[in-house]
Amino acid sequence: MRREVLRPNRVLPLLMLVALAAWLGLEAVSVAPNRIVPGSGFRAHEVVGWTGALAGCLPLLAVAALAWRPTTGRLRLVLALAVLLLMAMPAWLGLAVTRLVDPAQPQARLGLGGAFWVLLFLLLLALIELRARLRLPRLAGWGLLVPVLLAWWLALASWLEPLALLQEYRGRSDQFAAAVGYHLGLVGAAVGASLVIGVALALLMRRHAGLQKAGFGVLNFLQTIPSLALFGLLLAPLAWLAANVGWLAALGVRGIGWAPAFLALVGYSLLPMVRNTFVALEGVDPAVIESARGMGMSPRQVFLQVRLPLALPVMLEGLRITTVQAIGLTAVAALIGAGGLGGFIFQGLGQAAMDLVLLGALPILVMALVADALLGALTERLHPGGTR
Amino acid sequence: MSERALAFGLAAALRHWWLPLVWLGLLLLASLGMAELEAGFRWLEPDSREVIYRRTDFLTLLGRHLLVVGVASLLAGLAGVGAAVLVTRPFGRDFLPLVAQLASMGQTFPPVAVLALAVPVLGFGTLPIIVALVLYGLLPIVRNSLAGLQGIDPAVQEAARGMGMSKGQVLRQVELPLAAPVILAGVRTSVTINIATAALGATVGASNLGDPIISGIVNGNTAYIVQGALPIGLLALTADSAFERLLRHLR
Repeated sequence: MRREVLRPNRVLPLLMLVALAAWLGLEAVSVAPNRIVPGSGFRAHEVVGWTGALAGCLPLLAVAALAWRPTTGRLRLVLALAVLLLMAMPAWLGLAVTRLVDPAQPQARLGLGGAFWVLLFLLLLALIELRARLRLPRLAGWGLLVPVLLAWWLALASWLEPLALLQEYRGRSDQFAAAVGYHLGLVGAAVGASLVIGVALALLMRRHAGLQKAGFGVLNFLQTIPSLALFGLLLAPLAWLAANVGWLAALGVRGIGWAPAFLALVGYSLLPMVRNTFVALEGVDPAVIESARGMGMSPRQVFLQVRLPLALPVMLEGLRITTVQAIGLTAVAALIGAGGLGGFIFQGLGQAAMDLVLLGALPILVMALVADALLGALTERLHPGGTR
Repeated sequence: MSERALAFGLAAALRHWWLPLVWLGLLLLASLGMAELEAGFRWLEPDSREVIYRRTDFLTLLGRHLLVVGVASLLAGLAGVGAAVLVTRPFGRDFLPLVAQLASMGQTFPPVAVLALAVPVLGFGTLPIIVALVLYGLLPIVRNSLAGLQGIDPAVQEAARGMGMSKGQVLRQVELPLAAPVILAGVRTSVTINIATAALGATVGASNLGDPIISGIVNGNTAYIVQGALPIGLLALTADSAFERLLRHLR
């Protein structure tokens, strides 16, 4: 058998060279005596000395060198190295804490610098690249993140006390939990409502051809209106309704708050929902329907047992788009007093407290990625022919 | 004769482009004549002392909005199509899986989060909003450009090469024109999202049409909100309908 000889992988060496430049050239951490004073930045060699900084280059160079002549075994080694590097990052931050943060100052805080974020981003890119090259299944790709997350969790729980992000969280852990719950609740309610209305609309459109053109026209129009504008425009009519219709006001409908946010979210969610449901139901091969009828199925059976199951993956795709979109839009809704994680973002922007912004933005990002991955996996699973 | 041809051409163009032109006209009318609508806004907001946003005139705000969206979309378009072309050439093919994965994953990043994450790095003002818009606008363009370029039947490229075209000629005269509708659809998505997201720039100190909205929300003045939302909505509709016509033209 011929030994496997692969072309040099040029992606990983390039990523690692950029990582090297960032590690040596950009500020890795910043230290501030308290929340208000802007911090002063430190590069890696200013924290651990040139020996330490250069030692940190070695694993990056090793990844680049191993990937240059990539056999499967070497790529596996590279994968292990990348995961270990990601796990080492919080430990390194712990080292920076002991060297830079004066324990006598309980207010002092450690911020994450450019080099840190660039390194994190590039290592995650390396993981994505390796997952594709080694043809790892989706689940294994996510499994790789488990040890990394464990390492981070351990570090945050034990020795990263002065991390600025953590301090912002400590200050408002109750609010944070409430905001996450509220954010998820609003997204869930809006997506749920648009699922019901969207499927009903799509079914109606299949019945009445006239409704189809008008329906898509209105929904397309709605989708074009910028979210901030739509939220704003809903304030006035809802405030009027709340003032004039007693039972709506009793329900908690106000010009600001969850009501306009919910309505706007449903409005935006309807287009992907209706479009995908409609296309999915129409797209089922007529021959399949024909043969189902030929087998003596009633129209009801044909719909429930043939058309709907075949259309399900595309419908789920619509649900995925809708959910991811709603998670982001709910953040904007914080501007009209709807609360949620967007509240932290805009509060942080207002106070120029960037760690508070991160406290809002990072969970939103994670939520969107997780929702995307979960619904994507579900769609793949339901595809006719099972898992690919 | 030529006059008639001109008139005919103009009529055809009008018939083709009437919808974007109507939106554009309404947009300009709204930007120029916002103060004329004072009576209407007074009815909407009877208790406020001031019902017309006067800190900056609307044409300036519109201009700034257009500038930010235009610069960001141009940069995103150049970089996005450029990246897609590079990774579909033989020498860049190594990078194709990563770029494709990144483009589809990046779509899940909420625009607000991207904007919020740009501020700690770049500070307040117009720069972070342009960078955030470029980054976010890149993704639909890269994804669509890749889909467009990869969707071309290899036999067509083969035939073009067989006719003696150079690689550059194949790219310019065959691949890009064939992929143009799909690429343009990506640009359309990108521009529409950017028009909406740019308004959020008002929260990070960039002055544009988002300003009246934010100011209205902060002061509880619905009239201000409408005065910001109306031109943004009209701008989005103008851009979207213009792209729609352009796409129909290309197909």
